[in-house]
Amino acid sequence: MPVEIKPIKPMIQRNPWVRPCLLSLVLGYIAFLIFVPIGTLFFSAFSEGAVSFFKVLCRWDVLHAFGLTFFLSLLAVFVNAVFGLIIAWVLVRHDFPGKKFLNALVDLPFAVSPVVAGYMLILLFGRTGWCHAWLQAAGIKIVFSLPGMAIATAFVSLPFVIREVMPVLQEIGLEEEQAAHTLGANGWQTFWRVTFPSIRWGLLYGITLTFARAMGEFGALFVVSGAVSGETETATLFVFRAMDERMYQEAYAVSVVLAAVSFFVLLAMEALKKRVREEV
Amino acid sequence: MKRLFRLFFIYGCILTVIALPACAQKKENEITLGAYTAPREAYRAIIPLFQKYWQGKTGKNIKVKQSYLGSGAQARAIAGGFEADLAALSLESDMEVIRKAGLIKNDWRKNGSLGMVTRSIVIFAVRAGNPKNIHDWQDLAKPGIEILTPNPKSSGGAMWNILALYGAAQRGKVPGYEAGNQGARNLLKDVFKNVTVLDKGARESIINFEKGIGDALITYESEVLVGKKSGQNYEAVMPSSTILIETPLAVVDGYAGPHGALAPAEAFRDFLWSREAQKIFADFGLRPVNPEAAAEVSSQFPIPADLWTVEDLGGWGKVVPGIFGPGGIFTAVMEGIEKEK
Amino acid sequence: MAKTNAGALSLRVTALAYLAFMLLIPLAAVLQDGFRNGAAGFLKSLLNPAAWHAFKLTLWTAFLMAAINAVMGTLTAYVLVRYSFPGRSLINSFIDLPFAIPTLVTGVMLVILYGPQQALGSWLKTHWGWQIIFAPTGIVLALLFVTFPLVVRTVEPLLMEIDPDQEEASRTLGASSWTTFWRILFPAILPGVLTGTLLSFSRALGEFGSVVVVAGNIPFKSQTAAVYVWGEIESQNQQGASAMSVMLVALSFFVILLVDWFEKRRRSVHAR
Repeated sequence: MPVEIKPIKPMIQRNPWVRPCLLSLVLGYIAFLIFVPIGTLFFSAFSEGAVSFFKVLCRWDVLHAFGLTFFLSLLAVFVNAVFGLIIAWVLVRHDFPGKKFLNALVDLPFAVSPVVAGYMLILLFGRTGWCHAWLQAAGIKIVFSLPGMAIATAFVSLPFVIREVMPVLQEIGLEEEQAAHTLGANGWQTFWRVTFPSIRWGLLYGITLTFARAMGEFGALFVVSGAVSGETETATLFVFRAMDERMYQEAYAVSVVLAAVSFFVLLAMEALKKRVREEV
Repeated sequence: MKRLFRLFFIYGCILTVIALPACAQKKENEITLGAYTAPREAYRAIIPLFQKYWQGKTGKNIKVKQSYLGSGAQARAIAGGFEADLAALSLESDMEVIRKAGLIKNDWRKNGSLGMVTRSIVIFAVRAGNPKNIHDWQDLAKPGIEILTPNPKSSGGAMWNILALYGAAQRGKVPGYEAGNQGARNLLKDVFKNVTVLDKGARESIINFEKGIGDALITYESEVLVGKKSGQNYEAVMPSSTILIETPLAVVDGYAGPHGALAPAEAFRDFLWSREAQKIFADFGLRPVNPEAAAEVSSQFPIPADLWTVEDLGGWGKVVPGIFGPGGIFTAVMEGIEKEK
Repeated sequence: MAKTNAGALSLRVTALAYLAFMLLIPLAAVLQDGFRNGAAGFLKSLLNPAAWHAFKLTLWTAFLMAAINAVMGTLTAYVLVRYSFPGRSLINSFIDLPFAIPTLVTGVMLVILYGPQQALGSWLKTHWGWQIIFAPTGIVLALLFVTFPLVVRTVEPLLMEIDPDQEEASRTLGASSWTTFWRILFPAILPGVLTGTLLSFSRALGEFGSVVVVAGNIPFKSQTAAVYVWGEIESQNQQGASAMSVMLVALSFFVILLVDWFEKRRRSVHAR
């Protein structure tokens, strides 16, 4: 099984026009669909010069928005990595009634529109929500505040670690773990010394996907956050508001930064994908 | 590559440290304003003046946080848990939503001008040179005209627009449409057949107009004036008959009380009725309710031939269910338009 | 098992608790709210003309997008696997970009490019009468961008598994490219095409960030189901929002389950 995609030598073609036709169709499509919009974004962001671009990025509310986005994404990554590992382990190594149901349930965030995700949280934690009485007694604010945004971000990015670690866990099998156990290692040692190194790349790949998804979240946050500038405004929420307030350069600049960051995340994704394929 | 990632990570941590102070719960010396979309520039200009005033009066610095959403959306957010200390909305009926949620116990209509903080009227914005020759309501009903107006479900401005349209026809001021409810309904249908985008708020609507969508926009006079002030070159067209928009302001004591922010919130509210603040509202296209300020800027704000209020249509109690409710006239018209396609 | 019973149990409880809190309970909340007036109330909210139209619009734009994606995604995978050309590995990396980029940024990009005042947008409108932004075309375009990698990445591994000798043999024996494709390639990649297409369909049903910027939000014209839900939330029509939410989740989830089942079957057939 090849590690990376190696092009196969062109074969004897009956119709010599097939290749150039296909190539131009596909490349044209990709250019039109992906590259032209991105290029336009970069062009528009820098249309007033590089200096004004960087000045925008030094604004207090922009920095705060980036910081908040990064913070929420890191939090989502941490929580979903820890719980994701546990859930993946339980789903692969344990057997219990209802396991199939839980396994299917993990895909739920993929099926839920972000707006609906935010709405679910309002139904639970809003003023007329299920948990409101207890929250009020404890003085905790969830919706229209950071905790709600954190939960929303964790929700939408939940499945990635689980879905990337599970197949790896399945592939590496039990033998090494069992051997370690026979040799006297306890559960934690077995996990850390034997299992973890094997699933490392899958886990990292899942984390990268989680981070990308968390960073890009908009719909759920829009519903749950109240959009208070300078307090509960993430980078995506900022872009949305900036478009509304005729702050086009600001909107484009922040979008460019988000696109650039996602590009780096993409590079990490590709590199890690290769590693995962190598291991398995 | 690894070094780059490490650098990025460190930068992110620095940013996170900047963001962390936001995690702290509500502090004193802070009030939150929940407003509708249109007056944001005005509030942003007024707030520093209030901060100076408050600093002079109490020696303390005060932070005023703001959130701007469509009036209906903002009202639901506040009623649903968004802890604004003050609500500045577009419609009295939206303020009622917050009051009915038990969050406004004070008699908010007692202050200012029956609780209203600014006024405006419904007008149209058209392209420079008015190429489609739009001068009054009946011109909007011409086939082939593309119109923008926000969605009444979330936007207060949208409701004002629809009421202005409906009322003008009902009062018999729109040639080609008989006075009374049937004529008004027909105009509503003909105009809404031409609507191409129903956006969430008045501000979003005018932004779409600026992006090149549509031939005419129905909106607050203030939105057009603010847009022109920021360099846009569309024209304002005042219809012969239109509604007087009065926007309410109230302290949400259900939140301000527990925050310990009643004093600054009430001070801010009263400050907004001062001549100083009202002049700034006028700078941003909003008609002052303060009589002195209004007199000073009267030349800026022409009076339409037929200016009337929501009371002339029966008041909010009649209009909200009768026109916008599930069995209401607007809902029926939209469904009728769909059926005819 | 490598862990003691207590250890295993506590792991299981943790996993269950997290999933219950994050997934089950929110799902239950929206289900309960959608059916709060019983099945009759649920149906009534869904069959409300604006809701029903939004649902239909969502379905057909997702379907159209999935069809286009099936074709172009497969062709892209073929080109990437079988051909070599300058820039191949760069383009291969960029295929996944729509996964990484925030959907809102996608919407902003499309508006910059195709907005009526921009060069491309106004040219399209005057010369071809096409309006992209605030029309269903824009919705399909946004959906195409966002789901692009799905078909490509599910077809690629299957293409790589096919022995190129088979293809070459078929050509040498005189078969046209089309016959080669249809008889040899297509049966092998069909499961991947199906999976990728279904996944992109499911993804498109709930797409919000790019669509809300690009579409016009006109009830009965360009309002998708997700945007409709948002409108109902903002006007506090809880029943309407919940009912449509339940419908969307049910449909998307059903498609995903279908894909899972299909994949499992394929893998077990494969293993034999």
